[in-house]
Amino acid sequence: MKLFNYLLKIDRRIIYIVVGLLVMFPLVKPLGLGVTSGPRARTLFEAIDAVPAGKTILISVDFDPSSMPELYPMLTAVMRHAFAKNLKVLLCGLWVTGAGLADKAATEIPPEYGKKYGEDVVFLGWKAGVDAVILGMGENIKNVYPVDYYGKPLDSLPMMNTVKQLRDIPIVFAISAGTPGYQDWLLYAQSRYGMRVGAGVTAVSAADAYPYLQSGQMTGLLAGMKGGAEYEVLVQKAGYSKAYMPAVAAMDSQSLAHVVILLLVIVGNVAYFATRKRGA
Amino acid sequence: MHISTSILTWVAAILTIGIFSFLWKDNPFYKFCEHLFVGVSVGYTIAITWYNSVYPDLFDPLFMAPLSKVSLGNKLLLVIPLVLGLCYFCRFIPRLSWLIRFPMAFVLGWASGVVIPAMLQTNVLKQMQGTFLTPGIFTRWDVLLWAVISFVGVVCSVLYFFFSREHKGALKVASETGIVFLMVGFGASFGYTVMARMSLLIGRLQFMLRDWLGVIR
Repeated sequence: MKLFNYLLKIDRRIIYIVVGLLVMFPLVKPLGLGVTSGPRARTLFEAIDAVPAGKTILISVDFDPSSMPELYPMLTAVMRHAFAKNLKVLLCGLWVTGAGLADKAATEIPPEYGKKYGEDVVFLGWKAGVDAVILGMGENIKNVYPVDYYGKPLDSLPMMNTVKQLRDIPIVFAISAGTPGYQDWLLYAQSRYGMRVGAGVTAVSAADAYPYLQSGQMTGLLAGMKGGAEYEVLVQKAGYSKAYMPAVAAMDSQSLAHVVILLLVIVGNVAYFATRKRGA
Repeated sequence: MHISTSILTWVAAILTIGIFSFLWKDNPFYKFCEHLFVGVSVGYTIAITWYNSVYPDLFDPLFMAPLSKVSLGNKLLLVIPLVLGLCYFCRFIPRLSWLIRFPMAFVLGWASGVVIPAMLQTNVLKQMQGTFLTPGIFTRWDVLLWAVISFVGVVCSVLYFFFSREHKGALKVASETGIVFLMVGFGASFGYTVMARMSLLIGRLQFMLRDWLGVIR
């Protein structure tokens, strides 16, 4: 019983240190637990894989640096997949603080595949007014974005000659950390223009996204860092990329952290009920 | 081990340590990092808003572009959003604060018209459709099983929120079944939240060990 009392009064800082060390260890010495891809990631992968070469996919970067560890690996993995399949990538964003991340991806990923800005990838930037932006893009993208993120007129970018409106894009992949995000793409792009919408979401909001998957409104779902890791594995297994996979590298740490949390939940409950019974 | 020589990486690493220092206890270093984050976020947002939205969509066509490029009619049209936008700032002038009602009325009216039909279509009708037990689901036992569970879950959860009648008899059984489904939902959300928080910690540690200290490749 003394042990239970001690466990209930344990200093939270000790728990932080234990969790920190356990998370750090597999990053230095990987355990090789492996990652298997689930049906939700495979559905998205197959949907993008089926887009004919030369077509354009739209990626909406709707997150900011606070969700970067979870969502940025999805962005890079999907971009690598698209470029390996000779697809063009149109980037935009509904989060003002996400513009820098989309810029980073638009600058770093295309050269890996010999792709050029303006011909194979365009970053439209951010505009105020979420619903107005999506509805406007459904009519004419150039009306909403006369210039791209870097101030270049869209008329001067060869890729934009083939993409006039949302109907010219077979699928949008919305990477969302909250609102605005994938729900807005479902609300306007999917329901009004019939676009296929795939989503990558933070783990916190994953439970909210499942109903759209079950109803068939959403084409594939990547949930949290695990979702990113699943997509990285699919891209690498298909031979589309040999790049470093940050989400896969983090999965051992994630698994160990979950074991610790699980143990803490169980021990905490057992100790609570044991001491409560004694007190009663 | 290859420690980074980039000043930016060092700044990011030191600020990360500053934020993590809160785990030990609140301290001035943490407060400095927190305030810096808020300030940088606001400054960045203002800059992007100006260069990505206000300047190219309003300021440039209205004040900078010649009449040969933007017609007088279009320039006059742009005066409307300019005036509506300026009305928001009237909030800071007590005598004119009532003017904020005009842009608010415009936004509310426009948004209601656009959002309500789309919401009904996406979040009500399509979701109801998703719970229907259609003949197609009877082709595979596992699909049928999940469809029936979804159907029972939706019906019982909705009945739990039916307060016009006392929860007795069949309604009590259904509403208590609904609670079970709700608890499963909360449990799943909690599990995902743990995963999310751990992911953020792992992301920072990856940065510290890989980009800053060069311990991992």
